[in-house]
Amino acid sequence: MNVSYKWLKKYVDFDLSPEELQVKITFAGIEVEAIEKLGEELNQVKVAKIIDKKKHPGSDHLSICHVDDGDVVKQVICGAPNCAVGQKIAFTPVGSRLGEFKIKKVKLRGEESYGMICSEKELGISDKHEGIMVLPDDAPIGQNLGSYLNLDDTSFELEITPNRPDLLGVYGVARDISAILNLPLKTPEVIIKECDEKIENNLILQNDAPDLCPRYTARMIKGITIKESPAWLKQCLISIGLRPINNVVDITNFVMMEFGHPLHAFDYNKIDGKKIIVRRAEKDEKFPALDEETYQLNENDLVIADAEKPIALAGIIGGENSHITEETSDIVIEAANFLYSSIRKTAGKLKITTDSSYRFERNIADETADLVSRRACQLILELAGGTLLKGKLDSYPNPTGKRLVSLRPSRVKSLLTINISNEKIKEYLKLLGLSFKGEEKDNLTFEMPSFRKDLEREIDLIEEIMRLHGYNNVKTFLKPQNIMDKKIFSAHRMVKNILVSYGFSEVINWNFGDPADLDKFEISEDDERRNNARLKNPLGTSFSIMRSMLIPDLFKNTLFNINHGQKNIKIFEQAKVYTRKNEKLATEKLHLSALMTGFLNPVYWGDNQRQINFFDLKGVVEEILDNLGLKNYDFKKSGEPFYQPGLATDVIYKKQIVGSLGKVDPKVTIKYDLEQPIFVIDIKLDDIFHLHKMETPVFKVIPKFPFILRDLSFIISKQHNYDDIISTIKGVNPGNIKKVVLFDEFTDKNIKKEFRSLTFSLVFSSDTKTLTDDYINNILQNVIKKLDSKYSIEMR
Amino acid sequence: MKEEISKVLETAKNEIEKASSVHELQQLKSRYIGKKSVLNSFMQKISTIPKEERPTFGNILNETKNQISELLLNKEQRIKELEYETTLKTESLDLTMPGRKREKGSLHPITKVWWEIEDIFISMGFEVAEGPDIEDEFHNFDALNTPPDHPARDLSDTFYIDNDVLLRTQTSTVQVRVMQKHKPPIKIISPGSCYRNEHDASHSPMFHQVEALVVDEGVTFTDLRDVLNIFIKKMFGEKIESRFRPHFFPFTEPSAEIDIICVKCYGKGCNLCKGSGWLEMGGAGMVDPNVFDILGIDSKKYTGYAFGLGIDRIAMLKYKIPDMRMLFENDIRFLKQF
Repeated sequence: MNVSYKWLKKYVDFDLSPEELQVKITFAGIEVEAIEKLGEELNQVKVAKIIDKKKHPGSDHLSICHVDDGDVVKQVICGAPNCAVGQKIAFTPVGSRLGEFKIKKVKLRGEESYGMICSEKELGISDKHEGIMVLPDDAPIGQNLGSYLNLDDTSFELEITPNRPDLLGVYGVARDISAILNLPLKTPEVIIKECDEKIENNLILQNDAPDLCPRYTARMIKGITIKESPAWLKQCLISIGLRPINNVVDITNFVMMEFGHPLHAFDYNKIDGKKIIVRRAEKDEKFPALDEETYQLNENDLVIADAEKPIALAGIIGGENSHITEETSDIVIEAANFLYSSIRKTAGKLKITTDSSYRFERNIADETADLVSRRACQLILELAGGTLLKGKLDSYPNPTGKRLVSLRPSRVKSLLTINISNEKIKEYLKLLGLSFKGEEKDNLTFEMPSFRKDLEREIDLIEEIMRLHGYNNVKTFLKPQNIMDKKIFSAHRMVKNILVSYGFSEVINWNFGDPADLDKFEISEDDERRNNARLKNPLGTSFSIMRSMLIPDLFKNTLFNINHGQKNIKIFEQAKVYTRKNEKLATEKLHLSALMTGFLNPVYWGDNQRQINFFDLKGVVEEILDNLGLKNYDFKKSGEPFYQPGLATDVIYKKQIVGSLGKVDPKVTIKYDLEQPIFVIDIKLDDIFHLHKMETPVFKVIPKFPFILRDLSFIISKQHNYDDIISTIKGVNPGNIKKVVLFDEFTDKNIKKEFRSLTFSLVFSSDTKTLTDDYINNILQNVIKKLDSKYSIEMR
Repeated sequence: MKEEISKVLETAKNEIEKASSVHELQQLKSRYIGKKSVLNSFMQKISTIPKEERPTFGNILNETKNQISELLLNKEQRIKELEYETTLKTESLDLTMPGRKREKGSLHPITKVWWEIEDIFISMGFEVAEGPDIEDEFHNFDALNTPPDHPARDLSDTFYIDNDVLLRTQTSTVQVRVMQKHKPPIKIISPGSCYRNEHDASHSPMFHQVEALVVDEGVTFTDLRDVLNIFIKKMFGEKIESRFRPHFFPFTEPSAEIDIICVKCYGKGCNLCKGSGWLEMGGAGMVDPNVFDILGIDSKKYTGYAFGLGIDRIAMLKYKIPDMRMLFENDIRFLKQF
């Protein structure tokens, strides 16, 4: 629904800019969806005067005029019959833009025209297009038309929630604004003067469907004059996006938009039998509507009929057979209420939405009918003349009773966690139109206004108080404690889950260590792992330090399990290791150690058994590091003393050793009576978390273009390692070679000693186009050339 | 030439009919209608015939080509249908043979319970705090209102590294560290390893404990009972009730020990609960104002509660593990059960 700044101001004298107002009402629950400055377009248009006019020599209906806009005199070709010398008119100069239409200098049959004298329709003010818009004689030359017509305004497009039909009128919105700002609400004074002639003698009302029409009122005015509406009325309608038509129609629209309650005017002389009947339509009854369509109705649709025919589709649209025309002199004003669900059904079925149906569908109040009826009569008498007959016809069989709702101030306070006085509560609710009825201990009773059907319970009133108090003024107390690092917390668990998914079982050992293990693992005397935290009163020498390595305990676990018949073992432990040198307490760091030995997989009938090797180990490490989000980590030959030389690497990240993996030197394993090859991993988790901030992954666009696979197979000297070869291949065209996957390595007697055959699969793709075969072949040739010049390869 | 063409069509028909594989059909296709086919060679001879006959000739040639191509397609369709039916008839397996599974690892039962404890408390708004295992006497004793001559400080109870440095005997040390660093409101649990100098069938020199600490304005004994009650029911089941027994801890006042209904006999009395129907679960109480005073927290403004539970014991009760030693033996046959 639209409301305008100036119209709102008629009821509340607020001192806020449109932008400030927007914020205030949005945060009181009336969301402003859009805000539009009005009249800006019309301010390109100037009030000007036609100073001379002569017939266009080349045309019958065009004339050549000169207009003075106070600044300069311009020649304009005008086709309107009503233009005359001396008129004040709306002149739109070259360069202006009206809607989609740009005013340019044009030549019309040989005569130049520097602008346009506009009709009201061209200006978007009304539908009038028979001639140019003629302004009053006192209109000041040179003034911008928008400000002259007082059309400078701001329109707000509001989202009205379905529980608040009372906000479907400008006055209703103003009432909320008055409550929000605690300013008085100016209610229009409605006084009507009736003549002696009684309405009963002119019209009969018969309500045959009170279930669908809880209230129907009619008033009658005789002897009105249909004419144009005054400027203020037109301005109001234009400001909320309605087009003025004539005084009576404009008044019914204005009153509907003012109070949110639709009404309708009938031409009295078109009502057959001088009788209004509210009834269900007959099966297949035809109804010719104002929109020039004829609708076929049935018993579920409600119509307003006269003695002969339906004259309106109740609450939705008027009839083509009874509407106000230029000739109308006597009118009947209908102000009624209809069952919202019935209106919704009929409007939905017939696919008609009108300002009227929109409001009735939202369950508006019966009581407002009489107010809008009197308001419309007042304005018609004022602007269209005529006399109002005495009394009204009113079918209102079940008037809505008073509704009282009680509220406990203690409840308000506990829910709002604020200290609010009873007086403040009363004030807020009074501003919203509730009347205070009495007070007992912790209990305030209010009578609900008829237009607020949504207020039924204590909690509804509390919501109103909160809304006016401001949701964001309710205090908050809690903040996150920020004691735990959630990302690291989750990472610890993730690492364990990865190992479990790779078939590892978790072990937990005592954190006590045996210094002899460090000797067996050949840890040198100056290694920091020799800076042990020693217990003064240990359980025994084999538990006399806090362990500085986890792997020895994994060896003991392995031996235990082998001795109990398990030969294929995958275990891990995630625990702290401890060192102590000059620290007061100690340095405690979380490590992850894992051990694998035996066959990779359990016996399966479809597979050949395979012993675990280095790359099984490396895959696990890569999986963990990748999942932690590490990029650019590296594997370099390890200097750890307990690995078999040539079969172990350190893990390097940001130039630091963050772990190691490899096959344990048999001379170490034998010290633990272990005879099968043992592979271990040791990852310094705490060091990694220290170097690496874990980040939430961010979506990357999925490539639009297809990828193409090519294989490359060649024999190459063993002195070149994979890492080197792969970066050489990628380096040839990093943009299009998306991935290089090694899928085979082998040696046999046909291949020279110290050489091996490698097969890579290359994935080609582009971010911007589909790659052609020729293009890819070309890249492939370059890759081969590069490999050959660098390593002297032999293609297979 | 027309006769020649119709002869070609005849032989093509026969050969296509005889073909038994898609591969054969492809060969036939190139022989009859491909670039170097018989029909194509006729096409090249078109210039040798009179101009007015050429359109008719061209039509016949095209017609023939289309016919052959259709014959090929039809035959291909039939061969594929046949192949499909053969596939259905011949492909079958002994479906009772075992399926392929990845070898599954396992989390230690202590870890499983540990995570479950963390998750229950996190769902109630707690955060998880950590601290060092190697501690000083201040955090382990002094700050927790344990006087210097208290028997707990004895070497026979506590592992010492140095005169003042020891292995924490409880994770309450983390409470102290959190209270030193953070202002209330505080709502934490601190799971971790603890150490006591005792080793027998029911005691391990290293064990795992979870401590909770809540400090805020208006924290009550009811809050303590509520949180523990909810925890115990989530951990052991709706039926498991708990009760508090008055007790003494230096750092809480009032202090209590927590019992729960025996998870094995539900209170009837069995060997697990030694006939009492109840199991001892841990200690709890309201934080002693002295502790707040030592740590510079306004004891007039704030109240708090704390409790401690044994993770290992919960794991044993939950999984019905009879002997504590099994937890640290790391027998794979044991580990893979959970």
